[in-house]
Amino acid sequence: MKQSETVFLIDDEPALLKALGRLLKAEGFTVQAFESALAFLNAPRHPGSGCIVLDQSMPEMSGMELQQRLMQEDSALAVIFITGNGDIPMSVRAIKAGAVDFLTKPVKDSELLAVIRMALKKSKEMLHSKTEFNEWKQRHAALSKREKEVLGYVAKGLPNKQIANELGVVEQTIKVHRGRVMSKMGVDSLAQLVIMAERLRLK
Amino acid sequence: MNWVTIIWAMTAAAALTLAGVHGFVWIRQKRQMASLMFCLMAASTAGMAGCELWMMNLAEMQSYAHALQWYNLMRWLVTLALVGFIHFYLGSGRTWLELTVCGLRTLSLLLNFIFSPMVYYSSIDELVSIPFLGTHVTIVEGIPSPLSIVGQLSLLMLAAYLVDATWRSSQRGDKPGALRVGLSAVFFVLALSIQMMFALWGIIDMPIIASLFFTGIIVVMGIELSEDMLRAARLADELRIRESELREERKLTDAIFESAPGMLYLQSATGKMVRWNSQHERVTGFSNSETSQMQAEDFCAEAEREILKEARSIALAKGGNEVEFDLARQDGQMARHFFRMVPVDIGGEPHLVGIGIDVTSQRALAAETERQREQMAHIARVASVSELSSSLAHEINQPLAIILSNAQAAQRLMAYEQPDLNELRDILEDIVTADIRAADVIKRLRSILRQGKPVLESISPPSLFDQALGMAQSDLKEAGVEVIRRHSKKLPTLQADRIPIEQVLLNLIKNACEAMQDNGSREKLLSLSCVNEGIWLRFSVRDNGHGLQGNNQDIFQAFHTTKPNGLGLGLTICQTIVRAHGGKLWCDRNKSHGATFHFQLPIVPENL
Repeated sequence: MKQSETVFLIDDEPALLKALGRLLKAEGFTVQAFESALAFLNAPRHPGSGCIVLDQSMPEMSGMELQQRLMQEDSALAVIFITGNGDIPMSVRAIKAGAVDFLTKPVKDSELLAVIRMALKKSKEMLHSKTEFNEWKQRHAALSKREKEVLGYVAKGLPNKQIANELGVVEQTIKVHRGRVMSKMGVDSLAQLVIMAERLRLK
Repeated sequence: MNWVTIIWAMTAAAALTLAGVHGFVWIRQKRQMASLMFCLMAASTAGMAGCELWMMNLAEMQSYAHALQWYNLMRWLVTLALVGFIHFYLGSGRTWLELTVCGLRTLSLLLNFIFSPMVYYSSIDELVSIPFLGTHVTIVEGIPSPLSIVGQLSLLMLAAYLVDATWRSSQRGDKPGALRVGLSAVFFVLALSIQMMFALWGIIDMPIIASLFFTGIIVVMGIELSEDMLRAARLADELRIRESELREERKLTDAIFESAPGMLYLQSATGKMVRWNSQHERVTGFSNSETSQMQAEDFCAEAEREILKEARSIALAKGGNEVEFDLARQDGQMARHFFRMVPVDIGGEPHLVGIGIDVTSQRALAAETERQREQMAHIARVASVSELSSSLAHEINQPLAIILSNAQAAQRLMAYEQPDLNELRDILEDIVTADIRAADVIKRLRSILRQGKPVLESISPPSLFDQALGMAQSDLKEAGVEVIRRHSKKLPTLQADRIPIEQVLLNLIKNACEAMQDNGSREKLLSLSCVNEGIWLRFSVRDNGHGLQGNNQDIFQAFHTTKPNGLGLGLTICQTIVRAHGGKLWCDRNKSHGATFHFQLPIVPENL
């Protein structure tokens, strides 16, 4: 069962890096190993989905710090922590910050692989929703001023008549605008339009 | 009454009075033979005066001769008493002179009786009455006997004896009145001798008045004796004062003896008990009469008697000493006592005086403190182990993770149709390495937890750095500390318990790492050095962190900590360990940044 997603391994312990690399390669993953967080950051960035198996305690930059950096960069990479001496508050913090899991060394292969698969899936979803979101954003930007106004009222749930009253135009004009908004945003139903508006925080 | 009667009677009375006084003195103090002799002399002088008065009033030849015989007896007595007095009073007369004087006088007396009626005259012409002091007295006119020379000779010998005795006494200088007594006696004796000669040979007509001369002697002697008595009385007074002072002094020393917080004793150089206070009786349980028969060693536990004897000889030789031993009480119980001993000469003999204090409770307290300290050290050890446990878990988990992942990777590779054997060999090698690493960690953990006597072994100092740095590896790496090691290649080996010393180094290294946590842009530098300082090896751990706050000594106190989660025991334990090895631990502030901790361990020659 060959897979094509890349797994990034970051650990300051070379022997462990090697061992985990062997395991994941044997499982068919593409593996990139780094001995420090900075080495990872300095390497050419992978644009697609993937996951990072990250050691929490490392010199210079800890796993947690790297996670913060990736969040700021809006990365779609999923993070899995592995630690030798993690405690509960630390793991809670990591999960809240979006980590897929917080594993304690030594990690069983089945457990690790399951988490990696989950992480890859999550990363893929994240990448997908990110792409979709960006598309929506672009489409929304392409709307005229009046169309954006109409979309705002629609998303708030106002009927056409009321929107026409608010804007001081006839109901028919609103209908035309709405039809154009729906075709420009690429949605088929009013429900879809409302969800999209929600995601874009237009309410 | 005429003058003669008055003078002679008064002379006799005065002589008798003096005789009575000194006779009384002799009766009270039989040792005062001088007083007895003086009494005899005065009494016989009185007798002489009586005889002279008697003779002066006689008219009949026969009675005169009779009186003269009595008179000679008195003269004999006076002479013997005078010799006796000088003998006892000055104590300086030559015996042969004394015997000669007494012998001649006795001979004169015997001759006087043999050649009765008189020795003085070979023939008496007549008794004549001559005027004397306004009255008429009887004297003899006759041819002096050549035998009377014996009497004169005895007088001259007496004078010689007196001169000699006076001279010798004044040379010795022990009697202040010797010269006065002696010379006055010589003067009167010579005067008497001349008067006798003149009277006997009929050169001048006058009666024998020897009693007056002797009275002169006894008056001078009486004055001297009285002065002696006065001096004696003064001395007695002084003595009484001194005695009362001594009594006060004794009372004071008694009070001091009694008020001492412990036992006070005085013993001879050989340990014989001389004096002790009531506390001594109370503590030892031996009664005073028992103690007086005992030696100092009898109060000492048998096993420690030699120690006591040695301490005593050192105290006598060096002017004081201290010793501690188990005091053996009468009921067989032991009580630890501390003794101080100071040499003192009493009656020309060396003695030891000192104090003994019960130190049982102090020793028990010290033992308890020591026990508590050990207990605390153990607690601290456990605490430091628990502090270490998270990093130890990391240390163990790391190799375990390596092993597991490698093994599971190998399992997967084995599932391939053509497994890569080289890769499998590499994997197995890595597994072995990681396994050894895990075993090392466990070994170390076990030895940290081990309790008991330190086991000394020969250790090369650099290996201590190796081990400590190995243990601190993860901390150093995590903190990003650069380690600089400085030590000469030729360092002597140490005799020490390896694990605790490694603990000390590890602790200091960890502290240094923590001190450098907030260095910011300043590079974190840890330098380790080991220097041979002759009898010491000095290990130093230097950092460039935030340095020390407060007193350098405070940081070694238990429960002193600057870390939010620290117990404050690390350095206390380190100090305990280093001290247990006979070394010391201290710290310095660096001139620029940070602090340096040093500890010294003694270099023990290997052949020891």
